[in-house]
Amino acid sequence: MQPFSSPHLWALCAAVLLAGCASAPPRPNYSLFRADNPRSILVVPVVNRSVDVNAPDYFLATITRPLAERGYYVFPVNMVRSVLSDDGLSDANLVHSGDPRRLGELFGCDAIMYISIERWDARYVVLSTTVTVELTYRLKSARSGQELWTNHQTVVYQPRGGGAGIAGLVADAVAAAITKAAPNYIPLARQANAGAIDLKHTGLPAGPHDGMYLKDNDEY
Amino acid sequence: MSVRVPMGMVALGAFSLFGCATNHDKYAWGSYDPALYAYYKSPAKVTALAQTLQDTISESDAKNVPVAPGLRAEYGYLLLQQGNSAQAVVYFQAEERQWPESKVFMDRMIQVASSGQRTPKAKEP
Repeated sequence: MQPFSSPHLWALCAAVLLAGCASAPPRPNYSLFRADNPRSILVVPVVNRSVDVNAPDYFLATITRPLAERGYYVFPVNMVRSVLSDDGLSDANLVHSGDPRRLGELFGCDAIMYISIERWDARYVVLSTTVTVELTYRLKSARSGQELWTNHQTVVYQPRGGGAGIAGLVADAVAAAITKAAPNYIPLARQANAGAIDLKHTGLPAGPHDGMYLKDNDEY
Repeated sequence: MSVRVPMGMVALGAFSLFGCATNHDKYAWGSYDPALYAYYKSPAKVTALAQTLQDTISESDAKNVPVAPGLRAEYGYLLLQQGNSAQAVVYFQAEERQWPESKVFMDRMIQVASSGQRTPKAKEP
Protein backbone atom coordinates (compact mmCIF):
# COMPACT_ATOMS: atom_id res chain seq x y z
CA MET A 1 0.00 0.00 0.00
CA GLN A 2 1.21 3.40 -0.91
CA PRO A 3 1.55 6.00 1.85
CA PHE A 4 0.75 9.65 1.11
CA SER A 5 2.50 10.61 -2.06
CA SER A 6 4.75 13.48 -1.22
CA PRO A 7 4.00 15.64 -4.32
CA HIS A 8 0.63 16.50 -2.79
CA LEU A 9 2.23 17.50 0.46
CA TRP A 10 4.74 19.62 -1.37
CA ALA A 11 1.97 21.22 -3.38
CA LEU A 12 0.21 21.99 -0.12
CA CYS A 13 3.29 23.64 1.30
CA ALA A 14 3.83 25.62 -1.86
CA ALA A 15 0.24 26.84 -1.73
CA VAL A 16 0.84 28.17 1.77
CA LEU A 17 3.79 30.16 0.55
CA LEU A 18 2.35 31.42 -2.70
CA ALA A 19 -1.29 32.16 -2.11
CA GLY A 20 -0.99 35.91 -1.78
CA CYS A 21 -2.82 38.47 -3.81
CA ALA A 22 -1.91 42.11 -3.97
CA SER A 23 -4.17 44.38 -5.93
CA ALA A 24 -2.50 47.27 -7.70
CA PRO A 25 -3.82 50.52 -6.25
CA PRO A 26 -3.20 53.84 -8.01
CA ARG A 27 0.29 55.20 -7.49
CA PRO A 28 0.28 57.22 -4.30
CA ASN A 29 1.58 60.75 -3.89
CA TYR A 30 4.78 60.84 -1.88
CA SER A 31 5.21 64.62 -1.64
CA LEU A 32 4.10 64.82 2.01
CA PHE A 33 6.27 61.83 2.87
CA ARG A 34 9.31 63.35 1.17
CA ALA A 35 8.79 66.73 2.81
CA ASP A 36 8.49 65.13 6.24
CA ASN A 37 11.38 62.71 5.65
CA PRO A 38 10.85 60.43 8.69
CA ARG A 39 13.86 58.52 10.07
CA SER A 40 12.17 56.55 12.83
CA ILE A 41 8.86 54.73 13.20
CA LEU A 42 6.86 54.00 16.34
CA VAL A 43 4.50 51.06 15.85
CA VAL A 44 1.62 51.47 18.27
CA PRO A 45 -0.70 48.65 19.40
CA VAL A 46 -2.77 47.28 16.56
CA VAL A 47 -6.51 47.85 16.30
CA ASN A 48 -8.39 44.57 15.98
CA ARG A 49 -11.49 44.30 13.82
CA SER A 50 -11.10 40.54 13.46
CA VAL A 51 -12.71 37.84 15.59
CA ASP A 52 -9.36 36.60 16.98
CA VAL A 53 -8.47 38.38 20.23
CA ASN A 54 -4.83 37.31 19.98
CA ALA A 55 -4.28 38.64 16.48
CA PRO A 56 -2.86 42.09 17.45
CA ASP A 57 -0.08 40.66 19.62
CA TYR A 58 0.79 37.89 17.19
CA PHE A 59 0.92 40.41 14.38
CA LEU A 60 3.18 42.70 16.39
CA ALA A 61 5.87 40.00 16.26
CA THR A 62 6.02 40.30 12.46
CA ILE A 63 6.18 44.04 11.81
CA THR A 64 9.52 45.27 13.17
CA ARG A 65 11.75 43.36 10.82
CA PRO A 66 10.43 44.51 7.41
CA LEU A 67 10.32 48.16 8.56
CA ALA A 68 13.83 48.07 10.01
CA GLU A 69 15.27 46.24 7.01
CA ARG A 70 13.72 48.95 4.83
CA GLY A 71 16.08 51.36 6.60
CA TYR A 72 14.10 52.90 9.46
CA TYR A 73 14.74 52.91 13.18
CA VAL A 74 11.83 50.98 14.66
CA PHE A 75 11.07 51.49 18.33
CA PRO A 76 11.04 48.27 20.41
CA VAL A 77 7.46 47.08 19.88
CA ASN A 78 7.04 45.01 23.02
CA MET A 79 8.55 47.67 25.28
CA VAL A 80 6.39 50.37 23.67
CA ARG A 81 3.30 48.21 24.15
CA SER A 82 4.09 47.72 27.86
CA VAL A 83 4.99 51.37 28.49
CA LEU A 84 1.78 52.56 26.81
CA SER A 85 -0.18 50.04 28.82
CA ASP A 86 1.41 51.29 32.06
CA ASP A 87 0.43 54.80 31.00
CA GLY A 88 -3.19 53.65 30.75
CA LEU A 89 -3.03 53.30 26.98
CA SER A 90 -3.53 49.58 26.46
CA ASP A 91 -6.62 50.26 24.34
CA ALA A 92 -5.41 50.41 20.74
CA ASN A 93 -8.52 52.32 19.62
CA LEU A 94 -7.73 55.04 22.13
CA VAL A 95 -4.13 55.27 20.96
CA HIS A 96 -5.19 55.42 17.31
CA SER A 97 -7.67 58.21 17.95
CA GLY A 98 -5.14 60.24 19.93
CA ASP A 99 -2.89 63.01 18.63
CA PRO A 100 0.23 61.64 16.87
CA ARG A 101 2.18 64.72 18.01
CA ARG A 102 1.67 63.76 21.65
CA LEU A 103 3.23 60.35 20.97
CA GLY A 104 6.01 62.16 19.16
CA GLU A 105 6.78 64.13 22.33
CA LEU A 106 6.71 61.02 24.53
CA PHE A 107 8.89 58.81 22.35
CA GLY A 108 10.83 61.21 20.16
CA CYS A 109 9.72 59.35 17.04
CA ASP A 110 9.43 60.98 13.61
CA ALA A 111 6.44 58.94 12.46
CA ILE A 112 3.84 56.60 13.86
CA MET A 113 2.54 53.45 12.19
CA TYR A 114 -1.13 52.76 12.85
CA ILE A 115 -2.20 49.29 11.75
CA SER A 116 -5.67 47.78 11.81
CA ILE A 117 -6.40 44.10 11.41
CA GLU A 118 -9.55 43.85 9.29
CA ARG A 119 -9.56 40.06 8.98
CA TRP A 120 -7.60 37.21 10.62
CA ASP A 121 -9.70 34.11 10.25
CA ALA A 122 -10.06 30.61 8.89
CA ARG A 123 -13.28 29.44 7.27
CA TYR A 124 -14.00 25.78 6.89
CA VAL A 125 -16.27 24.40 4.21
CA VAL A 126 -16.43 20.60 4.15
CA LEU A 127 -12.84 19.61 3.42
CA SER A 128 -11.47 22.93 2.27
CA THR A 129 -10.22 25.81 4.36
CA THR A 130 -9.66 29.44 3.52
CA VAL A 131 -7.37 31.47 5.76
CA THR A 132 -7.48 35.25 5.36
CA VAL A 133 -5.39 38.09 6.74
CA GLU A 134 -6.43 41.63 5.84
CA LEU A 135 -4.61 44.71 7.12
CA THR A 136 -4.69 48.49 6.81
CA TYR A 137 -1.49 50.49 7.37
CA ARG A 138 -1.33 54.25 8.04
CA LEU A 139 1.87 56.17 8.67
CA LYS A 140 1.40 59.59 10.27
CA SER A 141 3.89 62.34 10.96
CA ALA A 142 4.67 62.86 14.64
CA ARG A 143 5.51 66.48 13.82
CA SER A 144 2.46 67.57 11.83
CA GLY A 145 0.03 64.75 12.55
CA GLN A 146 -0.59 64.41 8.80
CA GLU A 147 -0.92 61.07 7.06
CA LEU A 148 2.26 60.37 5.08
CA TRP A 149 1.48 56.96 3.58
CA THR A 150 -1.22 54.32 3.60
CA ASN A 151 -1.62 50.79 2.28
CA HIS A 152 -4.11 47.96 2.36
CA GLN A 153 -3.32 44.25 1.99
CA THR A 154 -5.39 41.10 1.76
CA VAL A 155 -3.63 37.73 1.74
CA VAL A 156 -5.63 34.54 1.29
CA TYR A 157 -4.43 30.99 1.71
CA GLN A 158 -6.55 28.34 0.09
CA PRO A 159 -5.13 24.86 -0.34
CA ARG A 160 -5.43 23.83 -3.95
CA GLY A 161 -7.57 20.70 -4.17
CA GLY A 162 -6.03 17.84 -6.13
CA GLY A 163 -9.37 17.67 -7.85
CA ALA A 164 -9.07 14.20 -9.29
CA GLY A 165 -8.76 11.00 -7.36
CA ILE A 166 -8.56 9.91 -3.79
CA ALA A 167 -5.02 11.19 -3.27
CA GLY A 168 -6.07 14.81 -3.72
CA LEU A 169 -8.99 14.32 -1.37
CA VAL A 170 -6.74 12.82 1.27
CA ALA A 171 -4.23 15.65 0.91
CA ASP A 172 -7.04 18.18 1.35
CA ALA A 173 -8.25 16.36 4.46
CA VAL A 174 -4.75 16.57 5.89
CA ALA A 175 -4.56 20.25 4.99
CA ALA A 176 -7.86 20.97 6.70
CA ALA A 177 -6.79 19.07 9.81
CA ILE A 178 -3.47 20.89 10.03
CA THR A 179 -5.10 24.24 9.55
CA LYS A 180 -7.95 23.53 11.92
CA ALA A 181 -5.67 22.37 14.71
CA ALA A 182 -3.51 25.46 14.55
CA PRO A 183 -4.13 27.90 11.75
CA ASN A 184 -0.82 29.60 11.13
CA TYR A 185 -1.42 33.21 10.19
CA ILE A 186 2.18 34.30 10.51
CA PRO A 187 3.32 33.55 6.93
CA LEU A 188 0.27 35.44 5.67
CA ALA A 189 1.00 38.41 7.93
CA ARG A 190 4.59 38.44 6.75
CA GLN A 191 3.49 38.39 3.16
CA ALA A 192 1.04 41.23 3.78
CA ASN A 193 3.83 43.28 5.37
CA ALA A 194 6.13 42.65 2.44
CA GLY A 195 3.37 43.58 0.00
CA ALA A 196 2.72 46.80 1.88
CA ILE A 197 6.28 47.90 2.63
CA ASP A 198 8.56 46.49 -0.06
CA LEU A 199 6.65 46.91 -3.32
CA LYS A 200 7.98 49.55 -5.69
CA HIS A 201 5.67 52.53 -6.39
CA THR A 202 3.32 51.78 -3.47
CA GLY A 203 5.57 50.76 -0.54
CA LEU A 204 7.74 52.80 1.78
CA PRO A 205 10.68 54.66 0.25
CA ALA A 206 14.08 53.49 1.48
CA GLY A 207 14.85 54.77 4.98
CA PRO A 208 18.03 56.50 6.22
CA HIS A 209 19.80 53.23 7.02
CA ASP A 210 19.37 51.93 3.49
CA GLY A 211 21.79 52.59 0.63
CA MET A 212 18.93 53.82 -1.59
CA TYR A 213 17.89 56.53 0.87
CA LEU A 214 16.81 59.65 -1.07
CA LYS A 215 17.98 57.99 -4.29
CA ASP A 216 14.65 56.38 -5.15
CA ASN A 217 12.66 59.44 -6.17
CA ASP A 218 11.77 57.86 -9.52
CA GLU A 219 10.06 54.99 -7.80
CA TYR A 220 8.28 56.77 -4.97
CA MET B 1 1.33 0.88 7.68
CA SER B 2 2.75 4.11 8.92
CA VAL B 3 2.34 7.46 7.21
CA ARG B 4 5.61 8.91 6.09
CA VAL B 5 5.88 12.68 6.02
CA PRO B 6 9.01 13.75 4.16
CA MET B 7 11.58 15.49 6.33
CA GLY B 8 11.79 18.20 3.72
CA MET B 9 8.22 19.12 4.44
CA VAL B 10 8.92 19.48 8.14
CA ALA B 11 11.82 21.74 7.29
CA LEU B 12 9.66 23.77 4.94
CA GLY B 13 6.99 24.05 7.62
CA ALA B 14 9.49 25.47 10.06
CA PHE B 15 10.79 27.75 7.34
CA SER B 16 7.36 29.08 6.47
CA LEU B 17 6.60 29.92 10.10
CA PHE B 18 9.11 32.73 10.26
CA GLY B 19 12.07 32.14 7.95
CA CYS B 20 12.91 33.55 4.55
CA ALA B 21 14.91 36.34 3.00
CA THR B 22 17.63 36.26 5.60
CA ASN B 23 20.39 36.64 3.03
CA HIS B 24 19.82 40.36 2.45
CA ASP B 25 19.33 41.35 6.06
CA LYS B 26 21.11 44.43 7.32
CA TYR B 27 20.95 43.35 10.95
CA ALA B 28 21.26 40.42 13.30
CA TRP B 29 17.81 39.40 14.50
CA GLY B 30 18.51 36.02 16.04
CA SER B 31 15.15 34.45 16.87
CA TYR B 32 13.60 37.71 18.01
CA ASP B 33 10.36 37.44 15.98
CA PRO B 34 9.54 33.79 16.76
CA ALA B 35 10.53 34.23 20.42
CA LEU B 36 8.28 37.28 20.73
CA TYR B 37 5.46 35.38 19.03
CA ALA B 38 5.97 32.44 21.41
CA TYR B 39 5.92 34.84 24.37
CA TYR B 40 2.62 36.38 23.25
CA LYS B 41 1.24 32.87 22.81
CA SER B 42 2.41 31.82 26.25
CA PRO B 43 3.64 34.56 28.65
CA ALA B 44 5.61 31.96 30.64
CA LYS B 45 8.11 32.02 27.76
CA VAL B 46 9.42 35.42 28.84
CA THR B 47 12.61 33.73 30.04
CA ALA B 48 13.17 32.22 26.60
CA LEU B 49 12.60 35.63 25.01
CA ALA B 50 15.15 37.22 27.33
CA GLN B 51 17.65 34.46 26.62
CA THR B 52 17.18 34.83 22.86
CA LEU B 53 17.78 38.58 23.09
CA GLN B 54 20.83 38.17 25.27
CA ASP B 55 22.33 35.53 22.95
CA THR B 56 21.64 37.57 19.82
CA ILE B 57 23.21 40.69 21.33
CA SER B 58 26.35 38.99 22.65
CA GLU B 59 26.91 36.87 19.52
CA SER B 60 26.46 39.86 17.20
CA ASP B 61 28.72 42.07 19.29
CA ALA B 62 31.39 39.34 19.27
CA LYS B 63 31.16 39.12 15.48
CA ASN B 64 30.82 42.88 15.01
CA VAL B 65 27.46 42.49 13.26
CA PRO B 66 24.96 45.31 13.90
CA VAL B 67 22.19 44.25 16.25
CA ALA B 68 18.72 45.07 14.92
CA PRO B 69 17.02 48.25 16.15
CA GLY B 70 15.14 47.85 19.40
CA LEU B 71 16.67 44.56 20.55
CA ARG B 72 18.96 46.05 23.21
CA ALA B 73 16.07 48.14 24.52
CA GLU B 74 13.71 45.14 24.57
CA TYR B 75 16.25 43.19 26.59
CA GLY B 76 16.85 46.09 28.96
CA TYR B 77 13.13 46.40 29.51
CA LEU B 78 12.80 42.71 30.43
CA LEU B 79 15.63 43.22 32.94
CA LEU B 80 13.84 46.25 34.35
CA GLN B 81 10.66 44.22 34.76
CA GLN B 82 12.67 41.64 36.69
CA GLY B 83 13.88 44.41 38.98
CA ASN B 84 17.42 44.58 37.59
CA SER B 85 17.48 48.36 37.10
CA ALA B 86 21.26 48.75 36.96
CA GLN B 87 21.67 46.32 34.04
CA ALA B 88 18.56 47.73 32.35
CA VAL B 89 20.21 51.16 32.25
CA VAL B 90 23.30 49.65 30.61
CA TYR B 91 21.18 48.25 27.76
CA PHE B 92 19.11 51.43 27.36
CA GLN B 93 22.36 53.39 27.05
CA ALA B 94 23.68 50.88 24.51
CA GLU B 95 20.50 51.18 22.43
CA GLU B 96 20.89 54.95 22.45
CA ARG B 97 24.55 54.75 21.41
CA GLN B 98 23.78 52.46 18.49
CA TRP B 99 20.55 54.25 17.52
CA PRO B 100 20.52 57.99 18.32
CA GLU B 101 16.91 58.04 17.05
CA SER B 102 15.93 56.37 20.33
CA LYS B 103 17.41 59.14 22.53
CA VAL B 104 14.21 60.74 23.85
CA PHE B 105 12.63 57.41 24.76
CA MET B 106 15.81 55.84 26.17
CA ASP B 107 16.64 58.92 28.28
CA ARG B 108 13.16 58.76 29.75
CA MET B 109 13.52 55.06 30.51
CA ILE B 110 17.00 55.52 31.98
CA GLN B 111 15.48 58.10 34.31
CA VAL B 112 12.69 55.68 35.24
CA ALA B 113 15.14 52.84 35.92
CA SER B 114 17.56 55.05 37.85
CA SER B 115 14.81 56.26 40.15
CA GLY B 116 14.00 52.68 41.09
CA GLN B 117 10.67 52.57 39.25
CA ARG B 118 9.80 49.78 36.88
CA THR B 119 7.43 51.77 34.69
CA PRO B 120 7.11 55.43 33.73
CA LYS B 121 4.78 57.40 35.97
CA ALA B 122 3.63 59.83 33.30
CA LYS B 123 -0.14 60.00 32.87
CA GLU B 124 -2.15 60.74 29.68
CA PRO B 125 -2.10 61.71 26.82
